[in-house]
Amino acid sequence: MKNKAYLPLLFLIAFFTTALQAQNPKAKSGTFALTNATIETVTKGVITNGTVLISKGKITAVGTTVTVPQDAEVIDCSGHWIYPGLIDGGTGVGLFEIGQIPQATDASEAGQIIPQMKALTAINPNSAHIPVTRISGVTTVLTIPSGGLFPGTAALINLHGYVPDQMYAGFEGVVLNFPTTGRRGFYDRRTDEEIKKAVEKSLSQINDVWDKAVQYHKLDSATKGKGVTYYPEMQALLPVVRGEGSLLIEVNAANDILEVLKWVKEKKVKKVILTGVMEGWRVAEQIAKAGISVIAGPVQELPSREYDRYDKAYANPGLLKKAGVKVAIRTNDRSRGNSRNLPYHAGFAATYGMGREDALRAVTIIPAEIFGVQDRLGSIEVGKNATLFVSSGDPFETKTQIIHVFIDGWQIPMVSRQTQFYDEFLNREPGAAKN
Amino acid sequence: MKSILSRRRTLLLLWAFTFPILLVAQDEKMMAPVSRTYVITNVNIIQSPGRKIDIGTVVIKNGLILAVGKKISIPSDAIVIKADSMYLYAGFIDGLSHAGIVKSKEEMNRDRPKDPGNPPPDKAGITPQNSVLEFLNPVDKSLEDLRSVGFTAAHVVPYGGMLPGRGSVILLGGSSANEMLLQPSLTFYSELTPAERVYPATVMGVMAKYRDLYRQASLTKSYETVYASNRAGLERPATDRILESFYPVIDKRMPVFFRAERVLDIQRVISLQKDLGFTLMLGDLKEGWDVINQIKTTNAKVFLSLDLPEEKKEEKKEDKTEKKEEKPKSISDLEKEALEKRKVEFTAKYTAQAGAFQKAGLKFGFSTISAKPKDIPANLRRMIAAGLSEDVALASLTTLPAEVFGLTDRLGTVDNGKIANLVISDKPYFHEKATIRYVFVDGHLFKMEVKEIKKVDPNAKPEIAGNWTLTTETPQGKSDSNLTIKKEGSGYSGKISGGRLPEPSDLQRVELTGNSLKFVYAVSMGGQAMTVTVEATVEGDTLKGTASVGQFGSFPLEGKRDPKF
Amino acid sequence: MKKITMLFLAVLSCGAFAQAQVDRGSMLIKNGTVFTITKGTLENTDVLVRDGKITQVGKNIPAPTGIKIIDASGLFVMPGIIDAHSHIALSSINEGTNAITPEVWTGDVVNPLSISIYRALAGGVTTVHAMHGSANSIGGQCETLKLRYGTVDADVLRMEDAPRTIKFALGENPTGHGRRDGQQPQSRMGVEFVIRQAFSEAKEYMATWETYNKAKLQKGFRGSPPSYNLRLETLADILKGNIIVHCHSYRADEINMLLNVCRDFGIRRIVFQHVNEGFKVAPELAAYGAMASVFSDWWSYKLEVYYSTAYNATILTRNGVTTSINSDDAELMRHLYHEAAKTQKYGGLKDDEALSLITINPARQLGIENRVGSIEAGKEADIAIFKNHPLSIYTIPVLTIVDGIVRFDREKDVDDMRLYIDPKESIDIPTFQEADHTHENCMLGAEETAQNIFDLN
Repeated sequence: MKNKAYLPLLFLIAFFTTALQAQNPKAKSGTFALTNATIETVTKGVITNGTVLISKGKITAVGTTVTVPQDAEVIDCSGHWIYPGLIDGGTGVGLFEIGQIPQATDASEAGQIIPQMKALTAINPNSAHIPVTRISGVTTVLTIPSGGLFPGTAALINLHGYVPDQMYAGFEGVVLNFPTTGRRGFYDRRTDEEIKKAVEKSLSQINDVWDKAVQYHKLDSATKGKGVTYYPEMQALLPVVRGEGSLLIEVNAANDILEVLKWVKEKKVKKVILTGVMEGWRVAEQIAKAGISVIAGPVQELPSREYDRYDKAYANPGLLKKAGVKVAIRTNDRSRGNSRNLPYHAGFAATYGMGREDALRAVTIIPAEIFGVQDRLGSIEVGKNATLFVSSGDPFETKTQIIHVFIDGWQIPMVSRQTQFYDEFLNREPGAAKN
Repeated sequence: MKSILSRRRTLLLLWAFTFPILLVAQDEKMMAPVSRTYVITNVNIIQSPGRKIDIGTVVIKNGLILAVGKKISIPSDAIVIKADSMYLYAGFIDGLSHAGIVKSKEEMNRDRPKDPGNPPPDKAGITPQNSVLEFLNPVDKSLEDLRSVGFTAAHVVPYGGMLPGRGSVILLGGSSANEMLLQPSLTFYSELTPAERVYPATVMGVMAKYRDLYRQASLTKSYETVYASNRAGLERPATDRILESFYPVIDKRMPVFFRAERVLDIQRVISLQKDLGFTLMLGDLKEGWDVINQIKTTNAKVFLSLDLPEEKKEEKKEDKTEKKEEKPKSISDLEKEALEKRKVEFTAKYTAQAGAFQKAGLKFGFSTISAKPKDIPANLRRMIAAGLSEDVALASLTTLPAEVFGLTDRLGTVDNGKIANLVISDKPYFHEKATIRYVFVDGHLFKMEVKEIKKVDPNAKPEIAGNWTLTTETPQGKSDSNLTIKKEGSGYSGKISGGRLPEPSDLQRVELTGNSLKFVYAVSMGGQAMTVTVEATVEGDTLKGTASVGQFGSFPLEGKRDPKF
Repeated sequence: MKKITMLFLAVLSCGAFAQAQVDRGSMLIKNGTVFTITKGTLENTDVLVRDGKITQVGKNIPAPTGIKIIDASGLFVMPGIIDAHSHIALSSINEGTNAITPEVWTGDVVNPLSISIYRALAGGVTTVHAMHGSANSIGGQCETLKLRYGTVDADVLRMEDAPRTIKFALGENPTGHGRRDGQQPQSRMGVEFVIRQAFSEAKEYMATWETYNKAKLQKGFRGSPPSYNLRLETLADILKGNIIVHCHSYRADEINMLLNVCRDFGIRRIVFQHVNEGFKVAPELAAYGAMASVFSDWWSYKLEVYYSTAYNATILTRNGVTTSINSDDAELMRHLYHEAAKTQKYGGLKDDEALSLITINPARQLGIENRVGSIEAGKEADIAIFKNHPLSIYTIPVLTIVDGIVRFDREKDVDDMRLYIDPKESIDIPTFQEADHTHENCMLGAEETAQNIFDLN
């Protein structure tokens, strides 16, 4: 049989998986020394044959001359690489379990204007998606509520922990789904006129909300918070109006992007992040001029117009970067459970013009900067959180294996339901039933 | 038979109830003339393409052409029409149309049946046994619309799904459906139209069902032949009106007439024809230019659509100004130019389709089913400008459809003994300024109102602000109203009062493009809210156009500037 | 003599294809790294193509005079990618109104104008299985297309003489549809029943016709023929083994169920599509000789794919099941080479094994493995050329060749590759995919209104 040729390999795999099963399924903390590794720090170049020291959740030393403390667990990383944990700047991880089943999704709430709905506390820390995602090196994700114009507040979370406090990665942002002049899919058969009307209606709704929020803010600061009544929508928008909190504006069509730039200027919104930005390449210069950061993606996507070059979605992040836009990359996976493919989205962007280095930055330090957590995440530097992974090679390369993952210094078991199925079913016992 | 007649009467009544105004208008025109003999004198007669009599006479009697030529004596009982230096043609024949056809009640019923996978045949759009006679309304406005551009006969088909029923050739005028019917049950009309939400709900479902029914019918038909020859000892075949409808098609006594607008539709129909082997006619082709050779292999008779995509100049302008406001010159502006260019290229392909067919030596007729009648003369001129010869155009409107429908002994040319279906225009029909003055259908005269069409000048900048007196002509008589237009920024606002308006009404929209003025206002009549749209051409202190009132149609309107008011 | 035979053959084959004028070209692809798939990887190797067929694979092949030469130095040459599960280039996908509609055929609604054809070519794809959807238990027959983009003639796209195939569907899609219509099936019990019922009726139909046809041969026969039914005719063709069954399925139990149904009705050729839990019944699939066409890593968009694993392709392959990786999606199909590479991450398949998943294996599943799916003399010249190793993330498809004709050339790629333009369309309206649409594309058009397609959760 064909199978026979693989017998030795099967034994090897069987041995390996037994070893895995023996591994403690719980995360482990302590002092770890990852030695003899090639370290891609992202911010400070590549260190060959180096060591990363992890202690009390932080990176305590990086370099070729690190002294390994006696109590440290030494993990020999010869031939392996170390990277900062990858950050997906937009997903549904934790808010949906099974896309099609309403009872298994918590990503959207009733109402158009509901910025007070918080993703953070609805995220399911025990979602099967979390292990699947993190063992591919994606350690941190922005989980986004979806739905109406202001569908809620997104949260940046680390993919380890049992309560929101343990997972929270230091950023929350109010989401605004800017009204789109595009179609929502080929099945959207509204006339141009109908689309225009819907956009106008939504836009006036948004303006109304914003004006109210500005009034609320004035009242709030004039009375030091005492003169305002309970108004959850306004309270959620308050940080944005004050210029303390970020507004994540989802926008994709070129004309809409220009509209957003105008709107932001007009309303003097201070902290703005554009998300999606599929047609950003059409108006890249204007975005760069406005100095607004972008979280672009998905990259593995069709062009938004039939007449566009086939690779426009692949090339978009690179074209934005080239125009001088600060650009991070996201999967925007909100139903397929594949935030784990973030390195491949980045890899496609790298291949189609962005270059590997910038693409790597776009899933590490750049999103960390955009979210204001660059002091903790996004690179391998002393003092940063020990959120990183060890791989057999370039994490963008499809065949690369992720060997170890650390989140906030916790060594993550390299197990998910998907690997467990592999262990159980590669050589099922009993095998074929006799017929 | 009786039931059909009474049903038609019910339909007519229903019709009369819904559209009282139109019915009144029609009745006036349908008043019997004092004589059924007409003489048309001093007219240029185009008997058929290439056959012309300069300044001749045509005599019509009892619905037939009695004489054509020069030096013809005028019968004493004739009504004389002095058509000095006008042009007379054989009435045009439309290859595919719903003119005069009303939708059936079943068609209107949109309830989904309990078992959508096995719907009753009429729900599935399978009613090949239907004939147009059941749905023909002699006073339907669509008949008048087609006549007004020169059509006097049409191959009409019922509304429906994949198999709406049989097509018949009718005369576009007559006092009853029976009188109009010229060639009943001539074609087996088919469309690739899926049923709504029931089987067959897709084009592939329609094609499968078509094959299924056709083959079923072939089988039952051959068994019926066996049975008819000697019935003893044989199971009695079940009667099935649907399958029986296929029999003349299978015998090739009746062609399948398939509507196929788009290039893919045409190919799909051809593949069905190749599978099943029926005699094919193709109707309302719009995108045939790339599949001419494929069509040739089928020996199908072809009718090209008289609908063309508009040459959009206005919208382009709008686009540009909008974009310029929003952003500076960019790559996307260049891109837009390239895209507009491709649209123009493709518009040109549609326009050149007829010319391409002519060049390929494929004869064709024309069909109006998806065209706006008033656009037809201009569309024909566009086709001619794009390579279609005038002779072929005329043949496609007259002799060719007559031949295809087996009517050469009755229609298609101006010759003695043929049915008096004639078109008379003041200039050659394909001339830009030609206006149709008289149309004869079956010897009945239809005088065309000569509407003075004021030139639309996109570059004119007339001043419309001020007071105007408007006169509208409705079936209830003339009525005057007062219009005030004010300039407001770059636009206008206005108010209309008087006439039949119970109270003054603000204009909702005033648009002026060049010298064409458009405004909309709401009226409430008998508790019913209606929107009136006025479109007019302004020239100095006068304006002329139409006022459209929802379903009641449009009425002529004139206006004068009124300095006193 | 040989020459004359060749000429004769050429004339013959021309005649056979005369109806749909398929362009076939000649070329010499020089000096590439050639993945033959079936005969290893050959460095610095040439591939000679004459009139649409590969005639020689080897080193330093002398160039016939006047032949087009493609310099593949430093490039990677592989067979054109085959997608065993696609819905591109079709005007309609689901005739989902009835649980059993084998009489319909996607081949009737091929749309050669679809831009998705060109985009697929740009991903190295040369052949697709254009399938009926999964709204009903026995859906329509499917069509195997070669991506000869640039024609308006649907016949040109058809892979001439490819075996007939048909779509079946198990699980949530047909049961959900049944529930909405108040019809069977509304459960996996019902799915099994409606399929068994259909085959049982078809058997009866065949028997009735057989009896009639035999009786007809007797002298003086008089009698009425059975009624004709295209639906039952098609089912009979399946029972006769003339149509390969491609069955949309997810859960292990339903896969096993259909294996048993096939066994009971003597149906041998069956390919399971999606088959996310195929890994659980891999030994059963292998024992029956059933094949599997899977997603690389899709899961969790609906309940029946919740218990999936990205190791599915590897487990199936290692258990001896002929496995392919498909797209079911106009975007995904543009990087099937990358999807295949994921089996190296999830289970460590070797290069040849991974590439087989998108070449020779899908060819086997469509019954066209003697014509395409590998680079061998005698096969049709469907070839994809890549910059960088096709299993690397940094690869770029640069040239795609169908029948020896270059159908995609990245260097000559221009804006707006559409073949037909609708003069009425507005040019400035983009279309975006919804991030949270939770359906496979094989449910497209299955719903009453377009809006409902994505709202039926």
